Amino acid sequence: MSIFTPTNQIRLTNVAVVRMKKGGKRFEIACYKNKVMSWRSGAEKDLDEVLQTNTVFVNVSKGQVAKKDDLSSAFGTEDLTEICKQILAKGELQVSDRERQSQLEQMFRDIATIVAEKCVNPETKRPYTVSLIERAMKDIHFSVKANKSTKQQALEVIKQLQQSIQIQRAHMRLRFVLPARDGKRLKEKLRPLIKTVENEDFDEQLEMVYLFIVQVCLIDPGCFRDIDELIRCETKGKGTLEVLSLKDVEEGDEKLE
Amino acid sequence: MGHTSLEKIIALQKKTPHIRNLCILAHVDHGKTTLADCLVASNGIISSRLAGKLRYLDSREDEQIRGITMKSSAISLHYTTGNEYLINLIDSPGHVDFSSEVSTAVRLCDGAIVVVDAVEGVCPQTQVVLRQAWLENIRPVLVINKIDRLIVELKLTSQEAYTHLQKILEQVNAVTGSLFTSKVLEERAEKDAEAQSSCTENGSGDQVYDWSAGLEETDDSDLYFSPDRGNVVFASAIDGWGFSIHQFAEMYSQKMGIRSSVLLKTLWGDFYLNAKAKKIMKGAQSKGKKPLFVQLVLDNIWSMYDAVVTRRDKEKVEKMVTSLGLKVMSRDLRHSDPKVLLSAICSQWLPVSQAVLSMVCEKLPSPAEISAERVEKLMSVGARRFDSLPEQTQELKKAFLDCSADETAPVIVFVSKMFAVDSKALPQNKQRPLTQEEIAQRREQARQRHAERQAANQSAETLKGTELNMLPTALSVKTAVEEDNKEHFVAFARVYSGVLRKGQKVFVLGPKYDPSLLPEGCSAADVLPSVPHMACCTVDSLYLLMGRELEELDEVPTGNVLGIGGMEEFILKSATISTSPSCPPFTPLNFEATPIVRVAVEPKHPSEMPKLVRGMRLLNQADPCAEVFAKIEISASKPIIPFRETVIRPPKVDMVNEDMGKQQKVAVIHQVKEEQTKYPEGVQVDSTGLVTLTTPNKMATVGVRAIPLPEEVTRLLEDNVELIRTMEQFSLFVWEDKTLDINQKILENIQEFKVKLESNLQGRKWRGAVERIWAFGPRRCGPNILLNSVEGYRRPSVWQCLEREKETEKAEIRDFDNSIASGFQLATLSGPMCEELLMGVCFSVETWDMKLSAPLAQQDSIDEDSRAAEPNIDNQNESSDTHETNTSSASSNRSRSGAEAAGSSVDCYGPFSGQLIAAMKEACRYAFQAKPQRLMAAMYTCEIMATAEVLGRVYAVLSKREGRVLQEEMKEGTDMFIIKAVLPVAESFGFADEIRKRTSGLASPQLVFSHWEVISSDPFWVPTTEEEYLHFGEKADSSNQALKYMNAVRRRKGLYVEEKIVEHAEKQRTLSKNK
Repeated sequence: MSIFTPTNQIRLTNVAVVRMKKGGKRFEIACYKNKVMSWRSGAEKDLDEVLQTNTVFVNVSKGQVAKKDDLSSAFGTEDLTEICKQILAKGELQVSDRERQSQLEQMFRDIATIVAEKCVNPETKRPYTVSLIERAMKDIHFSVKANKSTKQQALEVIKQLQQSIQIQRAHMRLRFVLPARDGKRLKEKLRPLIKTVENEDFDEQLEMVYLFIVQVCLIDPGCFRDIDELIRCETKGKGTLEVLSLKDVEEGDEKLE
Repeated sequence: MGHTSLEKIIALQKKTPHIRNLCILAHVDHGKTTLADCLVASNGIISSRLAGKLRYLDSREDEQIRGITMKSSAISLHYTTGNEYLINLIDSPGHVDFSSEVSTAVRLCDGAIVVVDAVEGVCPQTQVVLRQAWLENIRPVLVINKIDRLIVELKLTSQEAYTHLQKILEQVNAVTGSLFTSKVLEERAEKDAEAQSSCTENGSGDQVYDWSAGLEETDDSDLYFSPDRGNVVFASAIDGWGFSIHQFAEMYSQKMGIRSSVLLKTLWGDFYLNAKAKKIMKGAQSKGKKPLFVQLVLDNIWSMYDAVVTRRDKEKVEKMVTSLGLKVMSRDLRHSDPKVLLSAICSQWLPVSQAVLSMVCEKLPSPAEISAERVEKLMSVGARRFDSLPEQTQELKKAFLDCSADETAPVIVFVSKMFAVDSKALPQNKQRPLTQEEIAQRREQARQRHAERQAANQSAETLKGTELNMLPTALSVKTAVEEDNKEHFVAFARVYSGVLRKGQKVFVLGPKYDPSLLPEGCSAADVLPSVPHMACCTVDSLYLLMGRELEELDEVPTGNVLGIGGMEEFILKSATISTSPSCPPFTPLNFEATPIVRVAVEPKHPSEMPKLVRGMRLLNQADPCAEVFAKIEISASKPIIPFRETVIRPPKVDMVNEDMGKQQKVAVIHQVKEEQTKYPEGVQVDSTGLVTLTTPNKMATVGVRAIPLPEEVTRLLEDNVELIRTMEQFSLFVWEDKTLDINQKILENIQEFKVKLESNLQGRKWRGAVERIWAFGPRRCGPNILLNSVEGYRRPSVWQCLEREKETEKAEIRDFDNSIASGFQLATLSGPMCEELLMGVCFSVETWDMKLSAPLAQQDSIDEDSRAAEPNIDNQNESSDTHETNTSSASSNRSRSGAEAAGSSVDCYGPFSGQLIAAMKEACRYAFQAKPQRLMAAMYTCEIMATAEVLGRVYAVLSKREGRVLQEEMKEGTDMFIIKAVLPVAESFGFADEIRKRTSGLASPQLVFSHWEVISSDPFWVPTTEEEYLHFGEKADSSNQALKYMNAVRRRKGLYVEEKIVEHAEKQRTLSKNK
């Protein structure tokens, strides 16, 4: 008779093992599935809901319990609950299915929210709804990467979405004040970075010494750093740059006629 | 088409006095369409056998499936009693959701048939339609339908049925009466308001004044329905019979030898027949005799039903048939279903169409008899009085009254709605027997088309996409219609004067058109002057509406209902068409149901947005309930954000605890709340809520405290957004040394605003606060305030624009001033609870230390965010160079890189201004968290009109959705209650729907945004004492509304929600799929 007939085989159901190496020894504890992350985030406060038992093992699946000496030498205490808490906090574990699922879902929605906040429909200058963005993201089969920040991924998604729907980042509205001396030269350099110039103004100062060029324009937010850098370096700090609005969107109702 | 040919109808159309335009109105399922069927069957358009089953006027597929009418549709009928009449019948839907259709139908008619179910009596929609008929000044007649149900279902005796019918009649008259009284009362109220002006007004005003003196004196008897007045018909449309008292009166006057006029008066009412004396006596009830109506009318019908349906006595039936002189086909006699026999007999004996149509022709006015009052009402838009209209326009009134079909008479047509017709149904596209020539021609065309298609096939693919986006022009529609099955819009209209001809040039006047704006002397022939809301076009095609079919016409004389094709470009929903530009647009339709529900629509696939927009446009045109679709925003509709965040004054004692203490007589109150909000390192919070935070490069430290603003201040700030924006603009200009001219009026407003703020911010804490305001936020104009409480820092105040005259010493602006303000703006833009806007919070900057501030203090800003503001900019140029070396040596963690030469403070944490913004933002957030935080909910005020019976259910729905009733009052002269309540916006989704469902359409709410309200419960509250544990349980989630809202918002935004993935570890499903 084989050892692994179904009757002899004991499977660890509903068990998540958290492992930690300390003092050259490996320690394991048996926890419930889908609970460890909640404990770490602080949502779960009842330890009994997390731990199957507060015994510390060397190998959970074989049922080998860790020796007391090893525990005290590694952790400096014999309080099993205290040791379990330490292992829970710092040990490594395999993230279980529902935990991963909820984490990815949350990130997905977060990305969609960021995209919806940053982008507009270029035709109407109105923002898209989050649910619409989510649907568009599903359409292009976007998959969330758990180890990248949501903001970073959101910026990537915008680029990908541009191929399937009409979307663009909401423009920033800036105003520069440039001294006339550098103004002409600088304007040429700024030209490729600026989307539209709304207003250009030559203005004389009170002392009639300096001519200023005042520009109100829309730019892509990605270029902000470049423009900022350019103005600061080229004018030696005399030109100023001011953000009038972070995003230029239409609001309110529009009546269909 | 039945017996009546098209030519006949065209001929009849010209005889205006013999035209009747009427609509059938009733509650749902009271038998409008069945009655219409009977009338249609009388013209032979459908078989009389099918009448009542076919529902001919429900031409749409979904109407047939659901068994209700959704769109009103018209048909022209021909009726002969001595004179020949043309009857334009409009069937209307009875369901509440389609009540806008009723409005459009009523407008085009002169009379209305109000149908009431004999069993159900007066229902909510009956009241509504009576009111609509009243408002449009059209004359109603009554049909009491489904009398057969009294016999077969309820099994009433004829005597009981008589009292039942009397009761229904009383109900209907009560509704009419209440409409009348409310009108009189309304007018009296108006008159009271302008008592002195009433004497200057003309005759009608005086007349009204008389009414107000005594309601009883006013003669309102002609308003009421009474069988002896001939405006009531008793009917059973399903069985095909109906009668008015006239018929019976005539019948019996011969038999009994009593004059028919006497019978007419006595047949309905408390009269009985004294058999001995052969006399009609009064007081049937008191003497216990059968009233005349029962004896002569109902008993006959009852015995008929008894013989045919209940007992199925063949002999008796035959006897009855012969005595009535009817011929019944033997096929019907042998039929197993008694209903067939019954309808065969009854439809010959008392045909319903005869009864109804004769009543209609007698009692309802013809188009020519339009009353002057109604004309004035139609022509004077809105609040404008008729007298104030231009003279030319007033002349048109005569044309209205004459209603002449002369060539010279001006054409006036009113379009009440646009409806979509499948292009196949249009007469020009209909299949007709073709002549040989045509067939040959067709073949040629087809061949040509085929060749074209072959050639164009490749390019067509690309073209099609663009074609869809365009609003089709008149020409392209025609071609498109032939190719694909497009919907065609036909205007549902009526001619009020003149003759409308095909190919005629007319003006299309939109609802907002104003004839008084018109330049003098121009006619249809002139070049179109560019007047707003006016267009000039030629009439494309005219149709006779025959239910689901359309017949093409060449001209339509006055007084007729018709369809006009090819108008979709010019008419949105309703319009007035005239040959005279001085014609005023008709008053907008009275809609019983105003749009309530606001829906956001978005395409499933975002790239289909243009198609959606086009669809919306069509829908907007097709649905007469104007605003519903006009308000749909094109792309993403931003919902009203239902929540904002705020802080409140720390409660003296925890509210819940206090409550608990009272309940259980144990005052165990200990607040353990410190550990709840954990602050990261670098944030120090003192006990008073002052938060100090240092930038990552240890250069600057800011101390911020959050203070709740008084409610009045918040409201004041909300209301004065425009002023704040102006002030902000002003200071912006000042910083660039420009001047912005603000006119005196606005300056005064700002001054007033400031005074109000000062008066609201009283007390020690707020001393001088108004002067110290640094900024408003978010977006520089919101309901939050940044307060400058830094010692020894004076900056120009936001009230600069007021103090322009007193050029006091220039208050200096510290470096990075703007960074602090930006940090504040960002912090107010998204609060810590669920990233919503803050509201009513004052952040007071108490300390602001900068390590590098010493050398930079005098120097003016060179950083991106601060502005070069001072006139001494040339001095600054040199000084900045010298200072740069200073600063770089002073700050230890700065490298002497090339970038630094430009004066920027670059270190490993990014530009310093950015760091300061972030630090300020974080400081504000923590300061906010240090105080008790609350969510604010946007509230709707909700006005509900409801009758007394459903009041309880309205309250139930309100309380279920956390609504609060503010007041409830009865409307004068009616039995309607008006309830005012407030309701959180977050709970309002589906509210209108639910309330209408629960009250079966008797109450309809109107939601309008009103204000913000603090939700009193703390979203972070958890039970701490033992009593609380007992009372709320461990999680306290059942009672915490704020937490519920907060988590919902956080989940929607993809923010972290503190909740467990699985609640109970042991109760998980552990079986995996493949084992």
